[in-house]
Amino acid sequence: MTLWDILLQQLITGTANGLIIALVALGYTMVYGIIELINFAHGDLVMLAAFAALTCIGACGFQPAADGSFPWGALALMLVVVPLFAAGANWTIDRLAYRPLRRAPKLTALVSALGVSFILVNLGLFWGGVPMEVFGHGRAAASPKDVPDLIGYRNLLGDSAVQLTSKDLLVMALTVPLMLGLTWFVTRTRLGTAMRACAQDPIAARLMGIDVDRIVGVTFLIGGALAGVAAVILALSNNSISFGMGYRVGMDAFTAAVLGGIGNLPGAVLGGIVIGVVRSLSDQYLATAWTNAVVFGVLIAVLVFRPAGLLGARVREKV
Amino acid sequence: MTAVLEVQDVTLRFGGLTAIDGVSFQVAQGQILAVIGPNGAGKTSLFNTITGIYPPTHGRVLIGGREIARSLTRRTVWGWIAAGVGTGVVASLGVNLADLWTHGINDLFAPPRPFPWFQALAAVFQGLAPTVWTATPFLLGTVAGIAGAASLWHSSRRGPDLVARAGVGRTFQNIRLFRSASCLDNVLVGMHPRLTSRWIDALFRLRRHRVDTAEGTAKARELLALVGLEDQAHRPAGELPYGHQRRLEIARALALDPTLLLLDEPAAGMNPTEGRELTALIRRIRDRGTTCLLIEHDMAVVMEVSDRIVVLHYGRRIAEGTPAEIRADPRVIEAYLGRDGIPSRVQTATVAPGVRHG
Amino acid sequence: MERLRPWLVPAAALLFAVILPVIDRTLPSALSIAGLMPGLMVFAIVALGLNLVTGFTGLLHLGVAAFMAIGAYTYAIATSPVYPFQIGPWPGVFLAIVVTAASGLALGLPAVRLRGDYLAIVTLGFGEFVQDTLRNLDPVTKGTMGINPVPPLISGHGLSTYYLYLGLLVLAILASRNLRDSRLGRAWRAIRADELAARSMGIGVARLKLAAMAAGAALCGLGGAAWSALQGSSVEPGSYDFQLSIGVLCAVIVGGLGSLPGVVVGVLLMFGLNQIVLVKLSNAFGLTGANAAVWAQPTNWKYLVFGLALVLMMRFRPEGLWPEEKSP
Repeated sequence: MTLWDILLQQLITGTANGLIIALVALGYTMVYGIIELINFAHGDLVMLAAFAALTCIGACGFQPAADGSFPWGALALMLVVVPLFAAGANWTIDRLAYRPLRRAPKLTALVSALGVSFILVNLGLFWGGVPMEVFGHGRAAASPKDVPDLIGYRNLLGDSAVQLTSKDLLVMALTVPLMLGLTWFVTRTRLGTAMRACAQDPIAARLMGIDVDRIVGVTFLIGGALAGVAAVILALSNNSISFGMGYRVGMDAFTAAVLGGIGNLPGAVLGGIVIGVVRSLSDQYLATAWTNAVVFGVLIAVLVFRPAGLLGARVREKV
Repeated sequence: MTAVLEVQDVTLRFGGLTAIDGVSFQVAQGQILAVIGPNGAGKTSLFNTITGIYPPTHGRVLIGGREIARSLTRRTVWGWIAAGVGTGVVASLGVNLADLWTHGINDLFAPPRPFPWFQALAAVFQGLAPTVWTATPFLLGTVAGIAGAASLWHSSRRGPDLVARAGVGRTFQNIRLFRSASCLDNVLVGMHPRLTSRWIDALFRLRRHRVDTAEGTAKARELLALVGLEDQAHRPAGELPYGHQRRLEIARALALDPTLLLLDEPAAGMNPTEGRELTALIRRIRDRGTTCLLIEHDMAVVMEVSDRIVVLHYGRRIAEGTPAEIRADPRVIEAYLGRDGIPSRVQTATVAPGVRHG
Repeated sequence: MERLRPWLVPAAALLFAVILPVIDRTLPSALSIAGLMPGLMVFAIVALGLNLVTGFTGLLHLGVAAFMAIGAYTYAIATSPVYPFQIGPWPGVFLAIVVTAASGLALGLPAVRLRGDYLAIVTLGFGEFVQDTLRNLDPVTKGTMGINPVPPLISGHGLSTYYLYLGLLVLAILASRNLRDSRLGRAWRAIRADELAARSMGIGVARLKLAAMAAGAALCGLGGAAWSALQGSSVEPGSYDFQLSIGVLCAVIVGGLGSLPGVVVGVLLMFGLNQIVLVKLSNAFGLTGANAAVWAQPTNWKYLVFGLALVLMMRFRPEGLWPEEKSP
């Protein structure tokens, strides 16, 4: 491979990973934009959704096709079931753990989110002990579970040294329309406009007759659904899930959301792609062991010169 | 004599909205000057510009004849360079730490032989000889350090803390007391720039801390007595009735021993009796040597206590003079009462969209 | 808490802590806890450090484990026979405090100007960064093995260690109290309550936030050094992780943010529950081994119990178990 080939490959891989991060980051940034809560449990929701995906595979007995064909049916089913599950779970979590704290100081809600995160992690641990074959028949609940490689490997660029695999394409084919759809939803529909209104000024929104609680619930539903999609992609791309995977996913997504300007939807996408590409480049040209440090360095560098994130707006305090 | 406060052609814009438009006036030592005007005229924005919360888009604010901002001296620049070089050195050491440690310590450490310190030092210096791996982080670190130090300096150049330390105290339109702290503690916080105890004095309860605390507490009690709250010293500020809270805010602002005191609607919510007590208080404050600038809507208080009045309307100064002059000024009457005699408050609600509050 | 004479409860607690080892000797070994107490005291010291930053000054810090790690590793490197320095335990502790305070300054310089949530993320990233660095710098930190052996602060693992660590904890509490009831402490609490108003009073907010970071780091560094001395090792970098940072934060919040007795109570409860109660429960039930269902082992419930405790506390008693008093 030439130097250009290597660089191009890293950009492709980085963008694909970055788009997954962006999907999760959107969930963080939407919730933050509307109730100023850092939802620490979001990464662990992705983890649970990934377990749901694996359960789906196990329950339906999906196997990698012998002829290497693309698993359209399995994918379609999972992309309906898992986001529904994740959306419902997210809505429920809000209803039980965050809604009662709407008027409380931000720190209280934050600690509650941390508590939910721990609960979800434990649920993931128990889920791993379920006596299904995909979960190792309930033995060794804590160890990572293998996800059957339903998609398999195929380089869509034929024999080229640079690879664009079907997994990469799947990521892009799913995430880009979803993001465009979300943008359309938020700017063109009544519900989306209501969401933006609530994010700007919940009291004024209430005075305009908007049911803020319902809108917040919808936000959690959408964020959960996005997390569900991300979980399916992660499970099928990495072919391994574990009850502790929520931490890494959450950290990356969270950093991406902040990098782009928390509360800002395009910022989350931009941040996700930046983080994904930076990670790939660092893995390739520096060393994997230092990648987390590099990401941190990029975050600090951006925040020093743009304290509200890349696309964030400075909020003026009313004196 | 230099004016205590001089506002020179100050304009303040927020995006497309002009809150203050070319306002100029002066406040002389020992004066009580009131700023009045209909809601949305830019009064609180003016206060915020004076105290450094918002830098003016145009114009200057001079306190005691000078602009309150940290000046860029040669020492400052040397400081940046030092910060840069320091960061560069740390960066270079950091990037090469593993190798330096290996050659300088791990390779040479062989107990029970005594450790060859000089040899180790020599190895470290050798390891820091200019190569790509040592020079690049050093240069990058130096640049980053200088840029960071300059950026930090720039963002702390102006600000309400500098203005306060220059002798300007203020109260807020929406009371901003420290609600869970006692009245005494609130005043003591206001005294912060005038007290001298440092962290080490506090940590070890040294003499300076004890003396400082005793003097500070005595002075705080005096101020509480001045505003009539001496028996509330230990009550949490949040428990006080509204009028007392306003008085406490004044005491807190006075703790600074300010040459200029800014009062933002001090009479809000007060009945006529309290208003008269407030007038007396403001006069007592002036007699103690503090020049007062107040924003106020209560005309009884304004006419009674002010030496001069400045009238703002839509961000512009439309009149200035003694209370008698202002009372008779037709432009002021029109601004407040409108051409048909309808109070301007109602007029602005229907006629002037997009006018900011305060 | 009803207002008794303010010194009565702390004095009683201190008395109880002093005689605890004596009582403990009479208990059967299954219930004995005195040996585990010095560990809890270390975490209480770290929590007091976090309390300076988050409780007094209101800066949300999600990476205290990093400060603890820096303190532990500084102590280890400075005193372990693996390296030629071997400056002795107490100089080692002093050095650990100074180095950790310096790292707090380094973190604070770029971060302190940021809005609250952004600062929190940066501290989170810092925690990761330190953990990774300690793991990767093999020649210096011995990578994932940690640095062993490390001398203890006092020889003998019994009574003398218990009372020494109790003494350190008391010192940390006194230091926190002295700082809180001072010009600096008042300014910190003003920043927490209303930053803009504090600035308008002439308080140099950025500088004092930096001071809070440094001071909090110093206490955490003390805790880290004491921990390393207690374990006889710097302990591997993996143990100074996000979970530890969050555990300390939750202990502080559940106990009562900003309240000194609250912090101690919170640590005793959260860490005590985790390290003592659940472990002993598991031993008591004797359920281990690969064939036991995952939900039948008490230690596998610790996340759930912890998380549920947090959610319920925030719902029903968010001010903490022993909230800050409104100032007298």
